Amino acid sequence: MSDHQEHHDDGHHVNYFKIYIILLVLLVISVVGPIVADVIREVTGVAWVATLLTLVTAFGIAVYKAKLVIENFMHLKWEKRIMKWMLTTSLLLMALMFAGISPDVMNHEGNNWRNVAAEAAVARGIDSGEEEVVEEDTAPAVEVAFDVESMFNIVCATCHGSEGLGDGPAGAALDPRPASFADPEFWETRDRDRIVQVITNGAASVGGSPLMVAWSASFDEGQIQEFADYVQTFRPN
Amino acid sequence: MAFPKPQATLRSATGIPTGRLAVWWLLASEVVIFGGVLGSYLMHRLGHPEWADAAIHTNTWIGATNTFVLLTSSFTAVLAHQAAERGDGKTAAKFLLFTIGGAFTFLGIKSYEWWYEISHGYTITSNGFWAFYYTAAGLHALHVIAGAIIMGIVAFDAWRNLELQRVELIGIYWHFVDVVWIFLFPLLYIAK
Ligand code: HEC
Repeated sequence: MSDHQEHHDDGHHVNYFKIYIILLVLLVISVVGPIVADVIREVTGVAWVATLLTLVTAFGIAVYKAKLVIENFMHLKWEKRIMKWMLTTSLLLMALMFAGISPDVMNHEGNNWRNVAAEAAVARGIDSGEEEVVEEDTAPAVEVAFDVESMFNIVCATCHGSEGLGDGPAGAALDPRPASFADPEFWETRDRDRIVQVITNGAASVGGSPLMVAWSASFDEGQIQEFADYVQTFRPN
Repeated sequence: MAFPKPQATLRSATGIPTGRLAVWWLLASEVVIFGGVLGSYLMHRLGHPEWADAAIHTNTWIGATNTFVLLTSSFTAVLAHQAAERGDGKTAAKFLLFTIGGAFTFLGIKSYEWWYEISHGYTITSNGFWAFYYTAAGLHALHVIAGAIIMGIVAFDAWRNLELQRVELIGIYWHFVDVVWIFLFPLLYIAK
């Protein structure tokens, strides 16, 4: 550790101006790189070269720029080793977080679970593309061929159960639990308009539980009518 | 000074002046704060190919200009430190004022950028991408504001040759804010 003595006067002989100029040159490269990558993609059609170039110029250079600033401007190069360990520990914690959480976030389905909201967001985003933001409230629909039964089983059955009994794997844990659509009492106080209303705007709109959310952002009117029809098939006659 | 200084600011039991140790300590926690936001952004971005359609609407030139502004302000911050090491408080204060100018320029550009985007309908609730965009850059902007205020206080003292060791401390913080932006820039602007 003897090299650490007398480390912190102005004696590190860093040419700050030179570092600054290098940083600016790197900035220019990181902006130009992806533009060149686009041209390569257009002209040659080889996507991976372009992607690699973008990754290197954008992120590789960011890492190198950060290194220059941290070492030379923050003087971490001359700092006691314990500080480097402390910062490394923070970074390791972040890596641990990423490793632990990202598999669940990046995948939208796994053993016995399915992230319906994320799947719907992907489907919605991909087919509406840019308009999505602009016409936010025109109900961008999930355009994959709509089949009410399978859609009910994917989206609603987690809470309502595929027989509509309110016994889906997630439903059991809810408070209040979704009522059984096969219960005659349930139908005594409901009519078709009410069902459509709840599916469209959520149960909170009729004073019910916010856990039954509004589906109008995911499905269009016709599809919601189909859900209402389907829910009514559970009704005992 | 009407009362004696807290002993801790003069001591360096670890071999590092305690003030500087504290700044590093703060930054270690900032690494976790920004790391958490950026790590979450990254994993969601990888899981949502459609975010690329939102990302094309961010303005790379504005992002690049702001990167230039922050790099320049980091440069003046380190020059302020150099002057403080020489015991030249006035010069240090001047360079700090340049740095504060950088902070305001950055915030001005950012305000224009956000105003433009929000008035075109891209708000924090538009979708996941915009939610992260405003959260990450907003958190960063708060750090820029805090840095500018502290630099003002440090510069005020430095002008009268007081507390010159603080010039280095605020500099280290400021470079960190710069480093965070160095990563935000490719994440939010370049990766389309
Ligand atoms: C996150 C769990 C969950 C999901 C997913 C869900 N629901 Fe519900 N739903 C509930 C709960 C809880 C209630 C009970 C609300 C209350 O009683 O206040 C409910 C109530 C209902 C009702 C009865 C409303 C009434 O009149 O009381 C209908 C109809 C319904 N849901 C249809 C659907 C349809 C169709 C879907 C799929 C598009 C769906 N639900 C998805 C939890 C869910």
